Amino acid sequence: MNKQNVITWILLLLLTVIAGLVSSEYLSYGIPLILVLAVLKFIGVAFNFMELKKANVFWRILIIGFLVVFCGLILIIKI
Amino acid sequence: MEITKIDYKNVLYPPGGILLWIIIFLELITFGAVLIAMVFSGNQEPEIFHESRLLLNVTYGTINTVFLLTSGFFMAITVHELKLNNKQRAQGYLLLTMFFGVLFLVLKSVEYYTKLNAGLDMGYNTFFTFYWMLTLFHVIHVIVGLVILTSVYFGIKKENPTTKMEDVEASAAFWHMCDLIWLLLFPVIYLIF
Repeated sequence: MNKQNVITWILLLLLTVIAGLVSSEYLSYGIPLILVLAVLKFIGVAFNFMELKKANVFWRILIIGFLVVFCGLILIIKI
Repeated sequence: MEITKIDYKNVLYPPGGILLWIIIFLELITFGAVLIAMVFSGNQEPEIFHESRLLLNVTYGTINTVFLLTSGFFMAITVHELKLNNKQRAQGYLLLTMFFGVLFLVLKSVEYYTKLNAGLDMGYNTFFTFYWMLTLFHVIHVIVGLVILTSVYFGIKKENPTTKMEDVEASAAFWHMCDLIWLLLFPVIYLIF
C-alpha cells in the first residue's frame, strides 16, 4: 500500500470532519473556512489520487485556476 | 497486463489521458456554473435557502463524503498495485472501491427517501430544485463510474487481460472525477447557506 496515499486519505477524512464541525458553528469566517477546507480536499484528490502532481504544469495551473475562479466567484456573491 | 511507460510531463499525456481530462474540466465547469447560479439565487432568497439547508442532514452528507474519499483512496491503491503487477491485490482493492461507491448510493437513496416522504421534492422551492438537479446528476455519474469499474474488474480478472493500464488509469480518473464533483457540491449545498 502506498504510504503517501494513506496519509492523503487520513488528512482528507480529518478535513471532512472539521468542515462538518465548522458548519455547525455560526462563525463570521465560516464560509471562507469551509471553502478553504473544500479546496484542500480537492487538491488532495486531484494531485495525489489522480497523480496530477506528475502531470505537466499546464494541467496543474488549469485545475488551480478553476478553483480560484470558482471560490472567488462564490465569495464575491456570498460576502 | 500491458504496461507502457508514459511520460506524464508531456502536456498531451496527463495521467488518465487527455480526452478524459477534457471531459473532467467540462464537467467541473458545468457543475461549477450551476453551483454559482445556486449561490446567486441564494442571495435573492436568503431565508428560504437557509431554512431549506437546515432541512438537509449534514451527517448523511459528511458520511457520504467519507465513503467517496475512501473509495477514491482504494482506487488510487488499485492503480498503484497494478503498476507493481500485483493483480490479485489490485482486484481486491477494486472490489473495495466499488463497495464504498455502492455504500454512497445506498445512503443517498435513504436521504432521497426521507426527503420525498417529507414532501421536499424538486418543486418544493428553488433550493430543492438545485439540490435535486445537482445531486441526481452526480448520482448518475457515480452509477456510470460503477459500471465502468465493473467492466475494468472483469477485464483485469482474465488470465490474459485485454484491459491496458491506460484503460485502468482513465477509468480511475473518471471515478476520482465523481469525488471532485462531490467535493464541490457538499460544501455549497450542505454547509454554506
